[in-house]
Amino acid sequence: MSTASAVATPAASKQRTLRFPQWIRRGRPVLNIVLAVIAIFWLVPTIGLVIISLRPESLFGQSGWWTALTAPAQLTISNYQALFGQGFAAGGLLDSLVTSALITIPTTILVTVLASLSAYSLVFGRWRGRTVVLLLIVGLLVVPIQVALIPVSQLYKAFGSVTGFNPFGTIPGVIIFHVAFGLPFGIFLMRNFYMGIPKDLLEAGRIDGAGEWKLFRRVVLPLGLPAAASLAIFQFIWVWNDLLVALVFLASNPHQTLTLFLYGQTRFFASNYWIISTGAMISVLPPLIVFLSFQRYFVRGVLAGAVK
Amino acid sequence: MARVILDGMTKRYPGGGALAVDHMDLDIADGEFVCLVGPSGCGKTTALRMIAGLEDITSGEVRIGDRVVNDLPPRDRDIAMVFQSYALYPHMTVFDNMAFGLQLRKTPKDEIDRAVREAARILDLERFLDRKPGALSGGQRQRVALGRAIVREPSAFLMDEPLSNLDAKLRVATRAEIARLHQRLEATMIYVTHDQVEAMTMGDRIAVINEGVLQQAGTPKEMYSTPSNRFVAGFIGSPSMNFVDLKTDGETKDATLIAGSTEVRLDDKQAAMLQGHGGRTVILGFRPEHLSVGKPEGPGLTMTALIDVIEFLGNDELIHGVSDDRDVVAIVTSLNGLKVGDQVALSAPPTALYFFDPDTNLAITPG
Repeated sequence: MSTASAVATPAASKQRTLRFPQWIRRGRPVLNIVLAVIAIFWLVPTIGLVIISLRPESLFGQSGWWTALTAPAQLTISNYQALFGQGFAAGGLLDSLVTSALITIPTTILVTVLASLSAYSLVFGRWRGRTVVLLLIVGLLVVPIQVALIPVSQLYKAFGSVTGFNPFGTIPGVIIFHVAFGLPFGIFLMRNFYMGIPKDLLEAGRIDGAGEWKLFRRVVLPLGLPAAASLAIFQFIWVWNDLLVALVFLASNPHQTLTLFLYGQTRFFASNYWIISTGAMISVLPPLIVFLSFQRYFVRGVLAGAVK
Repeated sequence: MARVILDGMTKRYPGGGALAVDHMDLDIADGEFVCLVGPSGCGKTTALRMIAGLEDITSGEVRIGDRVVNDLPPRDRDIAMVFQSYALYPHMTVFDNMAFGLQLRKTPKDEIDRAVREAARILDLERFLDRKPGALSGGQRQRVALGRAIVREPSAFLMDEPLSNLDAKLRVATRAEIARLHQRLEATMIYVTHDQVEAMTMGDRIAVINEGVLQQAGTPKEMYSTPSNRFVAGFIGSPSMNFVDLKTDGETKDATLIAGSTEVRLDDKQAAMLQGHGGRTVILGFRPEHLSVGKPEGPGLTMTALIDVIEFLGNDELIHGVSDDRDVVAIVTSLNGLKVGDQVALSAPPTALYFFDPDTNLAITPG
């Protein structure tokens, strides 16, 4: 919210630069080393996963992945070739990649758009009961997802018996569930961000001739972009990584999400580690791409309201 | 351009709150520059926002041009407003900030371009059209806010303390700029300020408001020389008018009112005027700048005061004194050589004296 408030109140426009105290600045090299060690420590499992996915399946039981560091010749892309070689057959990796995308992208867009609109109404609307609605939404934040799985699947069945379309077991059914559970947090996040937009800006817009939709489109939405981007990133990652909802709602569907696909490769004995490691590597990429492309907004959004 | 009429305009906040604006009547002529002035919380900003359509009107009417606008949203009132905080859109360039209103009205592109560039030229903003407000100084932002208002060519301009965020020097410069703008555009302007100097220097007319009630409206000269009540008398003029309670005896010839060291010899007109108040207390008012040192013969005010503080202003000095436990302020020429601790005789001519009824606080006037 730094830009909007900076203009409205010139006194607050001076950016504060972070300046560490003397003793921290003197210890900077030590600090850097400690941070580097922690970073490596955190990276080890990821590096392990990358290497496992690049080793032939036959080596898995014979030697640890770290041996590849001294014998890089054993690395191969055969695992990737094998997985992609299956093509888009139902139940395969590429098919589940598409299924995950078909669920995650609409959910992310719907949550971000609906949450932005609802927050606009909650913050700038002038209707009675706004506070009560907000409290209800905040209350919904604490409802755990497991509680709703069975009631919602029954609702879906009831809906199906009336309309002839039972969302249970379908991709729209999963999307609706995710949107419903994503909205409370989304509305809450967007609302808190919009609270920081000076009311004067909207009044100026009203006098300039903007109706509610134009105010939202031209003034509030552009200013709320950092928050919307943060929300989109959160939402994308949550839904992409979801296993529980997909497990309940999509178990009967031939098209499975990536998480379901990976889960399906685990066995009591001799799980398909080569598929799991390779599939996991592939499943990491989309959230990473989303994060990197929205990153500059994300940082601003997370810091929203931190410095007045 | 249009005439703006407030007819019994009243605002009561919901939940039985106090009256923020109480039956305000004001007729603002086409092209007139009117300043609404009063202490903070007096309802002047609320009144302006009611004219703008940002606050509901509880009762009464607001007319702009020949339309009653009570139920019209701000965008249909054909007004422009300059906010105290400027309220520029931080994500838009200066050009877009000024063009926004015209874009929303679907004005043709070349016309928008022409209007914005013309406004930018008048306000000396041409170099900044591509910048965002965040990269501008306070004074430049202020001019963008003015520019946004003038490109729209509205019926009336509303300004809510537009200078209060500027430093003293810039404020004086921008004050002149707004006055020039008013002459150039010949537009109706309603300007809210708490600063009576700003109001006096800029307004064709001043409307003084206190506790939601319009006290008096008139030209700066009228407000200064014939205040209709004690509040206006004390509010207009800097430093404020001095007040002393005096008891009258109702005589007409050679009447003298005495309170401690303060003596007023009334001229015949004043004596006749105060006759109805015989035997009662009246409030005497006199302005610091009308006092002079010395004790002349003839009618008028004389008093003595012990000097407390002297503020040297150059040609003049501002004297804070105590006379019979009452503070008194005088502006006198600095040639007198007065010192703190001096006992000084002060006097004022009869034409500089004002009388107010202590019950109603209204000015006592002849007839």
